[in-house]
Amino acid sequence: MLRPCLRQSRGVARSLCSQCYQLYHRTLPAPSHNKPIAATRFFSSTRPARNTAQTSTITDADRVPLRKQLKNDAKFVKARQRETREKEEASRQQWELTVGVEIHAQLDTEAKLFSRASTVFSEVPNSNVALFDLAFPGSQPEFQAATLLPALRAAIALNCDIQSASRFDRKHYFYQDQPAGYQITQYYEPFAKNGYVDLYDYDGIASEDGKHVQVAIKQIQLEQDTAKSQDYPPSTQLLDFNRVSHPLIEVITMPQIHNPATAAACVRKIQAILQSCSAVTTGMELGGLRADVNVSIRRRDEAPGTHEYDGVSGLGQRTEIKNLSSFKAVEEAIIAEKNRQITVLESGGAIEGETRGWTIGSTETRRLRGKEGAVDYRYMPDPDLPPLLIGEDLIGGLREKLPLSPDEVLQKLVGSEYGLSVEDAKPLIELDDGARLEYFHDVVDILCEIQADQQNKPLKDLKRAAGNWVLHELGGHLTKSNLSWDPDLVPAQSLAEIIDHQNRKRITGATAKELLSMVFNGDRRPIAQLIEEENLVFRPLSREEYVELAQVVIALNPQMVEQIRTKNQAGKIGWFLGQMMRMGEKGRVEAPKANEILKELIMGNGQQ
Amino acid sequence: MSLLREAEKCIANQKAHAALNAFITPLRRSGPWLEQVRDADRRREQDKPRSSLDGRLISVKDNICTRDLPTTCASGNLIKFTSPFNATVVEQLEDAGAVVAGKTNLDEFGMGSHSIHSRFGPVTNSRQDHDGGALSAGGSSGGSAVAVATDQCYAALGTDTGGSVRLPAAYTGTVGFKPSYGLISRWGVVAYANSLDTVGIMGKDTSRVRHVFDIMNKHDPLDPTNISLASRNRIRSLLESSNLASRMTSGLRIGVPLEYNISELSQSVRNAWSRTLSFLQQQGHTIHPVSLPSTQQALPAYYVLAPAEASSNLAKYDGVRYGTRAEGPDSDGKSENVLYASTRGEGFGSEVKRRILLGTFSLSADAIGNYFIQAQRVRRLVQRDFNAIFRTEHPFDPYRDLPVEPASKPADVDVLVCPTTPSSPPQLSKLLDKDAVTSPLDAYMNDVFTVPASLAGLPAISVPVSAQDSADEDLAGIQVVGQYGNDELVLDVGELIERTK
Repeated sequence: MLRPCLRQSRGVARSLCSQCYQLYHRTLPAPSHNKPIAATRFFSSTRPARNTAQTSTITDADRVPLRKQLKNDAKFVKARQRETREKEEASRQQWELTVGVEIHAQLDTEAKLFSRASTVFSEVPNSNVALFDLAFPGSQPEFQAATLLPALRAAIALNCDIQSASRFDRKHYFYQDQPAGYQITQYYEPFAKNGYVDLYDYDGIASEDGKHVQVAIKQIQLEQDTAKSQDYPPSTQLLDFNRVSHPLIEVITMPQIHNPATAAACVRKIQAILQSCSAVTTGMELGGLRADVNVSIRRRDEAPGTHEYDGVSGLGQRTEIKNLSSFKAVEEAIIAEKNRQITVLESGGAIEGETRGWTIGSTETRRLRGKEGAVDYRYMPDPDLPPLLIGEDLIGGLREKLPLSPDEVLQKLVGSEYGLSVEDAKPLIELDDGARLEYFHDVVDILCEIQADQQNKPLKDLKRAAGNWVLHELGGHLTKSNLSWDPDLVPAQSLAEIIDHQNRKRITGATAKELLSMVFNGDRRPIAQLIEEENLVFRPLSREEYVELAQVVIALNPQMVEQIRTKNQAGKIGWFLGQMMRMGEKGRVEAPKANEILKELIMGNGQQ
Repeated sequence: MSLLREAEKCIANQKAHAALNAFITPLRRSGPWLEQVRDADRRREQDKPRSSLDGRLISVKDNICTRDLPTTCASGNLIKFTSPFNATVVEQLEDAGAVVAGKTNLDEFGMGSHSIHSRFGPVTNSRQDHDGGALSAGGSSGGSAVAVATDQCYAALGTDTGGSVRLPAAYTGTVGFKPSYGLISRWGVVAYANSLDTVGIMGKDTSRVRHVFDIMNKHDPLDPTNISLASRNRIRSLLESSNLASRMTSGLRIGVPLEYNISELSQSVRNAWSRTLSFLQQQGHTIHPVSLPSTQQALPAYYVLAPAEASSNLAKYDGVRYGTRAEGPDSDGKSENVLYASTRGEGFGSEVKRRILLGTFSLSADAIGNYFIQAQRVRRLVQRDFNAIFRTEHPFDPYRDLPVEPASKPADVDVLVCPTTPSSPPQLSKLLDKDAVTSPLDAYMNDVFTVPASLAGLPAISVPVSAQDSADEDLAGIQVVGQYGNDELVLDVGELIERTK
């Protein structure tokens, strides 16, 4: 059940890939900087992961172990949240923020919304365009029914009511990236309504929101994307119409969000859901997803505001911030806009219903156009397009085949079957477009197969161990070598066999790690052969051999033995243990046994 | 007469009547058409013509796309535009062996009732008033009408949004047919008001019109508003069932809409109408007064809806991807100026601008409820009016099962017979006189009898009928309107009325 979904999602979730790659696998400078790099990186989407120019400058000296790095990052996120919280504590008590989000996402389809032209826009500019896409006189739309499949998957995944009949409308405005002078969208009768998205603490919502909030989705509509324009100042604009009329969905939430971090978490969660059901092509950082937010504030201790939006009344005058292209931008733009509105209102001014913009790194949103410049879009039903009729059978079929949602996958991983921690499960799901999770399941499947004879042993421990190997051991190698994820670096079969051999006590844990390292570095001999040829089979030492070895290392440092005995410094036994591991025959010394013998000989407890 | 001889006569007439300005792009004296017609002649000799149109010259209104000839829509915006593709109707005609006889003049984008709003100058009617003064050819398919009237082609294609084929037919003494909405493909027909636009056919007589209609009355998947094969079959079985098939011989019930008998009717139109009804009665058909109560609201509703769609459809003419672009930066280099103002300001003529503004207003947030939506309600009422009086039911009527109000008691008629237009063609000089105080509403008034059938998507034909028993000169257009899908019946009745002499 779990796996097919993640197979599908491969190549879909580039955004998580890059952020998480940077978060979990790029060695970061020590967190002594003033800027909260790690925290912001968690929300931002800067560049694709394979940007070696950034990573190659990092030297070995900078390297921090993965676990420590995760800890540092988490610390940073917390520190930053605390800082922001403190700064706004006062205003927060007086003012309530209300945010609604609109997300535009490119659907994963072969053809454009109203023509058979391909949606590949990386090709030669203006090569994938049909007559209608360029608004040639006399051309007419040809609705591509296949577009509905990802759109409906998205609507189902976001818990919407699919409308049996919906319609297309024209939204008019002049701009060079809009060939027809209007965009075809679904304004009056969208195809999906009344959905919701669940946000949990692990999704990164503000602590004020507790463990869980639900944000209602007002509607989802199908619409056309615009062309891509490139500015060559002072007077040249280049236009690439390959993107024009690419099918989009616009997801509109109710104004029910009251914290900036929760708004960012909402966008991130919606993106993850859209990716998990293969509805969309790319994430925010590749431009496949864009967000607008509407922001209003009202005093908590006064009469409710006079504005009503989407049926939510009592709100203050809102402004809209357009075209936010990263999670970080969503959060920061809302904070900045909230602060701006507070300043305006506290100095006796009034908020204007206007459209504003946001640039990464700035401190204030900027006005794009005011009320007097507001565009009247003159929405008109498109007279060329028949109503869109969607049958229950289609919806039912899609609902049945819908892969597990990110929440369900997480619950499964942390549940009794796998027993992973939330901290491990989250990155496992999010890393490498879900490819890491797919690899994890490959390893687990092979493990289960080759452990079939060990029926009495619980598989849960093995699965958790596999999670640890995939995320931390293999992840560590990736970090060290600055390589991006590739399932062929260590074939799933090899890793499963390593874990299996260790589990059967044929090799020690140290040997297992060494084997992983050999495979990672390109040794492609089968694991069994490797163990054989490198003489790595674990041959347990006899008690006599342990005692003999222990006596040798005790003789190395009689002073320390004395200290342990007189001052009862049992912790120092570790030094002797280390010596035993080092001096003993490779792969044969088992640490727990060696420790036991050392205690016997030094502390004198036990039989002697 | 050989097809070639016939075609050569047409070309000669194109040259002889060039002053009437029927064509924007006439056929050249020598060209590929010569070989095409010769081939058709050979096929005819072997008794293997491709169709009844094989080797015939068909004029095409210049808002229908042709790959080989420019498609200007008589607009400054498309003055040098050649479409990269053929309209489906052009393909269908060429496949049937017909030859495009040139592109005919029109009111810019089909907006007008006299074919005077053209970047290429007005069309002149071949008929003249008693003093020899030039008359309006009607619009917007005036070029096609004049080309047919003066034998510059075998037949012509026009477009009819609110009467643009029927009105010029009435003014020029030709036959103009607007089929049911959705029967003929609109792919390649430049949109004015999509929900009303219909390709129309003009000819000297109804039989020619029928030949052309038969070629084009086919499903086209490229046009999303084109009626599907399943629906076509449904309409056919509806008409073949019951007693409808034998209506022409067993006696038709002919409706006369009382609301069309207005005081503004000119005497000759009134005469032609009553002569037609008498003739039909003589032929054994019965006349029944009917009421279409929404007739008065139909014209204003049309002049809200059509401009609204036009304002949307014409937003694409910005000179960026094709068409003519104004010199210099398009916002005068100032950001506060409106994008494309220069290109659109220079490219569009006054009537198009008027309708774009009308439509922009009626779709604006403050006006849409009182104008656009209200007009859509009127459109529904007009459709219900028609459904209440026709014997056949509308195959797609969503209100079929609603009880009919007692006031509009069903009259069960087969067709309506009424004038196409209230009066004879006005003088061109008066229309073009810039000092004359004429309101655009005067021109809109010409569409009062044609607009209702457009709003309801019904088939309608205008055929010329003499106002007097003796004179052939005093012609008026008499219109036949049928229920949706009853196109053959409308053509049959049109053919019958032609014999009113």
